[in-house]
Amino acid sequence: MKGGIDFHTHPVLVREMVARHPGLAAAARETYYCGNNFQPLEVMLAEMDIAGIDHAVVLPIDATTSRNATVYTNEQIVEVCAMSDRLIGFASVDPHQPSAPEQLTRAVEELGLRGLKLDPAMQEFYADDKLAYPIYQRAQALGIPVLFHAGLSWAPGSRLKYGHPLRFEDVAADFPQLRIVLAHLAWPWVVDAVALALKYPNVTLDTSALFFDNPKDFLRYAMTQQVPLTVFERSLRNQLVFGSNNPRIEIKSMARAVRGLGFSEECLDLIFRRNAEKLLERKP
Amino acid sequence: MIIQLHRIEVISKKDMEMIDITPHVEKLVEASGASSGIVFVSTAHTTSGIVVTEGVECLERDIPAHLERLAPKEPPEGAYGYYHNRLLDFDGRLGYNAADHLKSVIGGIQTFFPIEHGKVVRGGRQRVYFVEYDGPLARTVFIQIMGEAGA
Repeated sequence: MKGGIDFHTHPVLVREMVARHPGLAAAARETYYCGNNFQPLEVMLAEMDIAGIDHAVVLPIDATTSRNATVYTNEQIVEVCAMSDRLIGFASVDPHQPSAPEQLTRAVEELGLRGLKLDPAMQEFYADDKLAYPIYQRAQALGIPVLFHAGLSWAPGSRLKYGHPLRFEDVAADFPQLRIVLAHLAWPWVVDAVALALKYPNVTLDTSALFFDNPKDFLRYAMTQQVPLTVFERSLRNQLVFGSNNPRIEIKSMARAVRGLGFSEECLDLIFRRNAEKLLERKP
Repeated sequence: MIIQLHRIEVISKKDMEMIDITPHVEKLVEASGASSGIVFVSTAHTTSGIVVTEGVECLERDIPAHLERLAPKEPPEGAYGYYHNRLLDFDGRLGYNAADHLKSVIGGIQTFFPIEHGKVVRGGRQRVYFVEYDGPLARTVFIQIMGEAGA
């Protein structure tokens, strides 16, 4: 199997970036909330090597209206991606700002970012609020995927109510060409998220779910007990991508846990590589 | 009296790894001006260690492997679990490194050697290792030198 793609990382602990932009320390500690030491980028790359991951999607969050903060701007994502060709940058825009669609166009067309990250819980909007529809229209026209935070969020002040999978159904139905990724298996609503993916082929789930115990035991619970593994293997094999949610957990630990679930080799190749590669193709 | 505290950075590249830091310790002692005294070496982290052993590749494999047997990352099915495997609310992340903390406790986190005639006094086969139990990570090692200046 060729090297994989981690579809869900936050570069909040990259030391070189914090040194250049001291405000990123507060973004990491207060807005995103992660207390671990800042680390040189080479550490993240070494961990990817151990995990058999070639590339990682790095995600910003524009929470200007709700938090008066950004967890990386789009320009900062471009900057960190310039440090390694193994990083794939996504954009984020603030749904409360009328200029969000134009900002998204600029992020994709001028900055070269390859997808959109939205975090309804931190940005305080419901995904099915018409407020955000112009952004979806623009993302669909640009042909980029949209990765939504879904389910429980560890970020301070982020309410679970924004993360329920059914708040994404109208988006999936109203924008059938928009490729949607729901993060964290939308835990605890894994069954609902799976139902959405079963019904809507434009919905993909990412594996970055870990809320108690350890990666192996948690994913075994979520992906073999909450929902049988056969559902993912047989029905959703083309709608599941590997995501770690680093730095809340190590990439290596999540990769080992997913590989240990009992998927076929063919399905693992889809989860770790091919499905992500397809999502990253622009389809305007 | 000379008292110096140095911080060196060690970057591990593997899950578990023994990194020989003897040259760092010796260089700092020789540059300190201390002729007679003591040097302390301590890791700043609770999932790493400082170990003194013979500097051979086979032991660099055996020691982490044996510590893994004593404190396995994944305990045998149904045997026991780790309370530390939970959300650490003060850190905003999951603690999936109880075994790495235990290895650190078992293996120790510091050592010291005498200084004589401006040099570290150690056994001919002894090397000072920083031991990574939860890598890869950038780590800090404290090296404190205390001694009398030479004549």
